[in-house]
Amino acid sequence: MESGNIPVLTVIEDTIPRAYEKAIKEVWEKGISIRTEYDRSEDPPSKDATVMIAVREPFGQPRFHRSFADGLGGLAEYVQEVVHGAHDYWVKPVEEIIKAVESQDTRWTYTYHGRLFEYMIEAEIVNQIDYIIDKLSQTGHSRRAQAITWNPKLDPPTEDPPCLQRVWGRLCEDEKGDFIFNMNTHWRSRDLFKAWFENVIAITTLMRKIAERIAEKTGKRIRLGRYVDISDSLHIYGSYFREIEGDPERGIQSFFEMLESRSFEERTWDSDFVKPFFIDDGIGKGLKRMLEREKDMPENVRRSIENELQKMKDDDYVV
Amino acid sequence: MTIFEKIADEVQKGHAAAVEALVNEAVSKNIPADRIMDDGLVEGMNIVGEMFKNNECFIPEVLVSARAMTVGLGILKPILAEKNVKPIGKAVIGTIQGDLHDIGKNIVGMLLQGAGFEIIDLGADVRVDRFVESAKATNADLVGMSALLTTTMINMKTVIDGLHKAGIRDRVKVIIGGAPVSQDYADRIGADGYATDAASGVDVAKKLLNI
Repeated sequence: MESGNIPVLTVIEDTIPRAYEKAIKEVWEKGISIRTEYDRSEDPPSKDATVMIAVREPFGQPRFHRSFADGLGGLAEYVQEVVHGAHDYWVKPVEEIIKAVESQDTRWTYTYHGRLFEYMIEAEIVNQIDYIIDKLSQTGHSRRAQAITWNPKLDPPTEDPPCLQRVWGRLCEDEKGDFIFNMNTHWRSRDLFKAWFENVIAITTLMRKIAERIAEKTGKRIRLGRYVDISDSLHIYGSYFREIEGDPERGIQSFFEMLESRSFEERTWDSDFVKPFFIDDGIGKGLKRMLEREKDMPENVRRSIENELQKMKDDDYVV
Repeated sequence: MTIFEKIADEVQKGHAAAVEALVNEAVSKNIPADRIMDDGLVEGMNIVGEMFKNNECFIPEVLVSARAMTVGLGILKPILAEKNVKPIGKAVIGTIQGDLHDIGKNIVGMLLQGAGFEIIDLGADVRVDRFVESAKATNADLVGMSALLTTTMINMKTVIDGLHKAGIRDRVKVIIGGAPVSQDYADRIGADGYATDAASGVDVAKKLLNI
């Protein structure tokens, strides 16, 4: 690739942790050095590339990498935010969002759940996930089953506009005639080192929910197919370089040394290990604690999360 | 391996059930609760904190270990209270008003607790006056504030001003952290310390309190 061109990289792996590690290595080694709006003056430029990542088995085990910027209970709560709208009530009113950076209201300007399930257009609310389910239930091979997040009026002036742009799905048949749900997501910008993994755990949980609802609606058995994740800018921020490179003089090992020093099993967890922490991590996070802590959560959302909690208590339920 | 080494090892591995069993065993053998805490639980968490600082373990692993430590502490707390065993320091921590990000604050809290501090965790989006009220009511040695947004970090100065107004600024150290915060910002608002990351927060806290 000639200079001035953003590298285009592809990663195809069986599981999420394998894809995650490979993507970090690829972007670190082959990414362009470029500044982002979030870099501080003292930080080196970020590493950046346009990347397509395909995961053949989104629920393949081990599903969880141990390197992410939260605890397992916090991750569980984030999944509820994306799939069940746990924090839609943290979004500020439209009139405050329009004020952009002038607004003193520090509540959020969007959630992915809010945009996907309750997209506001021409004073009407559109549930785009219901549309995907309905469309694929009627015409599984349709290429139109998609949901967007971007709001061209609200998002450009805000400081932190949505990274996820689009969710697209399609049903295909395998050689035995079984239906396979394929899903792609398209992201404008993505923090690979500290956000990608959590995003993908949440979005693949949404993928499973869509497949389950299509199965319910059609009475057909539907399995999950590959998940494809496309980022225009998948980056490693300059502020993370100390963690990635380490500091041998101070005895701090690099991220890659850390990976090499452990077996793959020792740097991942399977869903059985993770599930009790999703329910209650023992230090204030997880679904049980979230329901206790967030008293203002709307009743309908609370009920969805209580249902999720019930499902998690079933041995067969995979987080 | 002594029972203390076993407890420390299981804390490090994040095995909550094993820690619970070992702490109960130690208590049943009449081993003093403060030794079980210091030489077992705190030692285990200190090892985790050191590994975290050296990039030898991941953030979720720190929290899995913290859960194991918390299970052990839960058994010891009533005994320690009965014997009036004091922590090495008392810290009021929270994410500043308007800010809902709490992971950095939670890790600092766990590592401070692991280092022997008593933690009063006010949570996220904490009103300015709550920091001041809590520091005063609990006779805290330290106030730790975290912010992830440039729009919210300005509230840190208001807390420091509040500590002055409440007449307790001279007896409480203030430490700040979070992505948009810097040493320069800490100096400008009159904080006593700044932690570049969660792992160094414990070192800064101990240094400020001469521990």
